Amino acid sequence: MSRWEVFKQDAPGKPHQAVGSVHATDARHALINAAHVFVRRPAAASLWVAHASAIFSRTRQELAAQELSTVDRVDPAATAAPGAPLEPYEVFRKSSNRRSMTFADHVGTVEASSAAHALELALAEPTADTALAWWIVPTAAIAASDPADAPAWFEPARDKLYKQQSQYGSGPTPTVRRADP
Amino acid sequence: MTTDATPTGSLLAALVERVTAHADDELVLGHRDAEWTGHAPLLEEDIALANLAQDEIGHAITWYGVRSGLDGSDPDRLVYFRGADEYRSSHLVALPRGDWAFTMLRQYLFDAYETELLARLARSSYQPLAQAAVKIAREELFHLRHSQLWLERLAYGTDESRARLEDALAAAWPLLPQLLAPMPGDAELVAAGMWPAPVEVGSATVDRVTGTLTALGLRAPPLADGQVVERHVRQPPELGELLSVLQSVARADPEAQAW
Repeated sequence: MSRWEVFKQDAPGKPHQAVGSVHATDARHALINAAHVFVRRPAAASLWVAHASAIFSRTRQELAAQELSTVDRVDPAATAAPGAPLEPYEVFRKSSNRRSMTFADHVGTVEASSAAHALELALAEPTADTALAWWIVPTAAIAASDPADAPAWFEPARDKLYKQQSQYGSGPTPTVRRADP
Repeated sequence: MTTDATPTGSLLAALVERVTAHADDELVLGHRDAEWTGHAPLLEEDIALANLAQDEIGHAITWYGVRSGLDGSDPDRLVYFRGADEYRSSHLVALPRGDWAFTMLRQYLFDAYETELLARLARSSYQPLAQAAVKIAREELFHLRHSQLWLERLAYGTDESRARLEDALAAAWPLLPQLLAPMPGDAELVAAGMWPAPVEVGSATVDRVTGTLTALGLRAPPLADGQVVERHVRQPPELGELLSVLQSVARADPEAQAW
């Protein structure tokens, strides 16, 4: 078992967002576990998973400390030689500290020779300086849920009743209410 | 022809038995799944089993609701105050949860059966049944994907995982015919287009399951031919033990309105 990062899309046209991680034996297992863990509540249209080792991440602080040149401990793609062939990378960006349930949003795809190169391209975008953190993932490392599975994986959650925490009683001692005699 | 008019007489009695049997299967299997809460091999599977349990029990509520529409019965009374021998669930779902391999194999067998059943029940002439089948079939497909995925990983995991899967198959397989067995009023239900022919659902289930097992290099023993198998036989002691837990709170204070 190893760790996989999960990206959930709430509705078609919305960005996939990093929502957390699951343990799994492989990508298909990770997708199933992601559906169990993150799609129990309404609003999902698609899931992506990527092995945790495939994520190249940098925070604003790390970038400020000029750590971009530091080799990521697990991602050999980050050090691909200059002139290496271009391949697609997905770029995710964290833009707010106010969210509790999601981390980074998918903002686009770039063709790059390495994850570090992909980040350089992302940093060249006009609004890049507002980002708090970046995740770069090779497109080839992402496994996506099958659109044909959407009715079975995502639709049932829309009809499920669930109680908010506040709907459960929380008195100091449990009481049993009886029917009137 | 389809109808939402309530059948009468022997047809009504037969339909009540069938719907109850299926509701009981879902409830009992859901309860066995729920017994993994806090015990599954990893957190994600703990959550997955809790989800499966909620789904199966949710389906049971739907089927008890269909029965309620037929005879006005109260689902809570049926669940909490019937004795084991009044239950119509199959022996397969009553067995204790066993190890992970048994839980996943049993779940797979039931998911495969339910997938074949619901595909046909969706064409039932009794509208409330057809509507419930369409809705539940969607979710069952996801259950089937999950349990089948585990069969593959157990079969190709380690020597131990494969041995456990083979043991699970040896324990569960002989109970499959009873899950697929006809009930006394079936002929009338089938003639009225209300319930699919058990022999058809059964052979489709066996074909599906055998295909999966063969692809994994597992040999399903031939199912005993000519042996009389019935749904209506004495329940195994395991069901009584399960119900004593499931019903204990409700029976402790039958008048309670809320806890």
